Amino acid sequence: MNDLSVKHLLSINDLNESDIDTIFKTADSFKEIINRPIKKVPTLRDITIANLFFENSTRTKLSFELAEKRLSADILNFSASSSSVKKGETLVDTANNILSMKVDLIVMRHPNPGAANYLAENTNTCVINAGDGTNEHPTQALLDCYSIKERHGSLKDLKVVIIGDIKHSRVALSNIYALKKLGAKVMVCGPTTLIPKFIHKLGVDVEHDLLKALQWCDVANMLRIQLERQDIQYFPSIREYVKQFGLNHEVISSLNKKITILHPGPINRGVEITSEVADSPNSIILDQVENGVAIRMAIIYLLAGKLNRA
Amino acid sequence: MKSPTEIILKQVKVIDPNSAYHNKKVDILVDNGVIKKISNKINPAKDQKLIEIDKSFVCPGLMDMSVDFQEPGNEQKETINSGVKAAAAGGFTAVVLQPTLEPSRDKLSDIVYCKEKKHQYPVDIFPIGAISKNNNGEELAEMYDMHSAGAIAFSDYKKPIHKSGLLSRALLYVKNFNGLIISHPYDDSICTDGQMHEGVTSTSMGLPGIPSLAEELYINRDIALTNYNESKIHFNIISSKESVQKIADSKNDKINLSCGTSIYHLIFNDEDLKGFNSNFKMIPPLRTKEDQFALITGIKEGVIDVITSNHQPHENEIREVEFPLSPFGCIGTQIAFPMALTYLKDELDLETIVKCMSINPRSILQTDIPVIEEGFMANLTVFDTHTNWEFNKENNFSLSENSPLLNTKLTGKVHGTILGNMSNFST
Repeated sequence: MNDLSVKHLLSINDLNESDIDTIFKTADSFKEIINRPIKKVPTLRDITIANLFFENSTRTKLSFELAEKRLSADILNFSASSSSVKKGETLVDTANNILSMKVDLIVMRHPNPGAANYLAENTNTCVINAGDGTNEHPTQALLDCYSIKERHGSLKDLKVVIIGDIKHSRVALSNIYALKKLGAKVMVCGPTTLIPKFIHKLGVDVEHDLLKALQWCDVANMLRIQLERQDIQYFPSIREYVKQFGLNHEVISSLNKKITILHPGPINRGVEITSEVADSPNSIILDQVENGVAIRMAIIYLLAGKLNRA
Repeated sequence: MKSPTEIILKQVKVIDPNSAYHNKKVDILVDNGVIKKISNKINPAKDQKLIEIDKSFVCPGLMDMSVDFQEPGNEQKETINSGVKAAAAGGFTAVVLQPTLEPSRDKLSDIVYCKEKKHQYPVDIFPIGAISKNNNGEELAEMYDMHSAGAIAFSDYKKPIHKSGLLSRALLYVKNFNGLIISHPYDDSICTDGQMHEGVTSTSMGLPGIPSLAEELYINRDIALTNYNESKIHFNIISSKESVQKIADSKNDKINLSCGTSIYHLIFNDEDLKGFNSNFKMIPPLRTKEDQFALITGIKEGVIDVITSNHQPHENEIREVEFPLSPFGCIGTQIAFPMALTYLKDELDLETIVKCMSINPRSILQTDIPVIEEGFMANLTVFDTHTNWEFNKENNFSLSENSPLLNTKLTGKVHGTILGNMSNFST
């Protein structure tokens, strides 16, 4: 009871349904706590957590930091651009140096797929994957599912479409795994050049027409177009992207139903989503942010409970 | 190591389709580097070294057709001496050195360096020279000069030749002296950041893929160029089902070509990379189970001629990193043959394995094929198929340790090799 089957959180695939249920139930309690006048619990008073961010992040980092503070953990923050680390110290050396300072748990964001697995295998600590390149972003998927569940009651047979750059998205991959585990039906939608050739083999439908995808779905998760990562050209211009895949009020109002809209942030307003839609009652974008803290508190709390501390 | 003058191999079963003793259990007397006598029973005389191993086999000395000993340039990975030692322990009496890229092996003196490199193991060294100067894919290197110095074939190895015109001229130019172009078919322009085979496994791991198409595009192109120039070509390692089919069709069309695959591609597939195991990261990448089976069938049907180790050493320091940063390739020359004996015994008979690892490579490269008959120079490998042993750090002779099979138990052991006056027996 109230125990996870895993020692780390590396991938959604490592979790079973009961793990996810435990995380959600724990998050319910923490959500209640962070809405109290006194938002802090002393639970992890003797735990030190290092937040290793080898890639830029605002939202995820703040969310983790706040979750850790609400649990009264001590925090060590480390940020480095991947290139400076690549030239000098290896990832394992950096992590072991920090662990020598008696750190109990590592939260890591890293540009390389598999980096979290690598760290978990090669260091003696608990690792929470806060995004590893194009592989996974498990806490995001959990908070997305939690937020959807909050709105819809259950994910069973719910139709969820993930829209945007699927090829480079860790959010998409983790969401696909989590949603399917919870019984949702998943579709991905985006430009042909940004959909991996074999994605259908993960058990998702593929659609390249935004309107058709929206007509099908109950929930739309809009991914951020990574404007800063366009070293290879996957579509001719943002303008063309917006014309085909931008979510605006006209498209939404042409549907004869209400759909729930998610976005992992940060939003490119006017690119994948217009302000009007992002700020509409259909949108649960800000709920996601609030739930993010509760979900991360739950994960840290549950994993900290599994630490072997002498 | 220099041999005792006379060696007797007791009760060894001969695996050599070119020999009258094929599949027969005999005693073999090697005198001064030559097979002097083969008979049911030879009584040992004084001063003769006796090799007597229970249920052992002897085959023509094995040839590893693709090893990357990185001398000169990266001796911390492998020197010719350490590589040859590992190869000898693996049963090879000949290795074909893929060209170093830094520095490029693109002129006569570079070939001479390899040929004259002194070592103490019964292994012939056959260096491959570059096709283009500095492997730049722009200008032809002096292939005739290198050929005269002993370059066995020509290849730009890991640097794919993108200019079809250059490859076309190379194929045409080497015809003059019956030279051979070896292709490593890989059009990396369609997958510049590829990490592993593109398929459901790469998708599920969020890793950029290398589609089979990257290989097939260049196989198709290279075969067309070979056909047009009426030349010949060898594909070092093919990895996909479609490549096997294309090679089979082209062989039927009487195009002069041959191909190999690596021992790893016959035993493993992309699912072995799950969990980000970078020891299995290689080029061409391990493909799907279906491809793996197609390769095995390709060997059985004679479409694939050669099995290599694809030995690519890397020092630990550059490997102890996250998956996308770790280099491609793993070592294998010491265990390629035992791997075949262990994992492919239900698929391939000994004769087929020996053909692919000894006879066919020499036939493709037009070097003498050793025959286990009286009067021939002794060039042979002694092994068994039943001894269990573990490949580990202690018995690994490579300078590098990048093997997915370190600390793995293998069944079937090489006991030693003889090449002329040199021999290398562990017992």
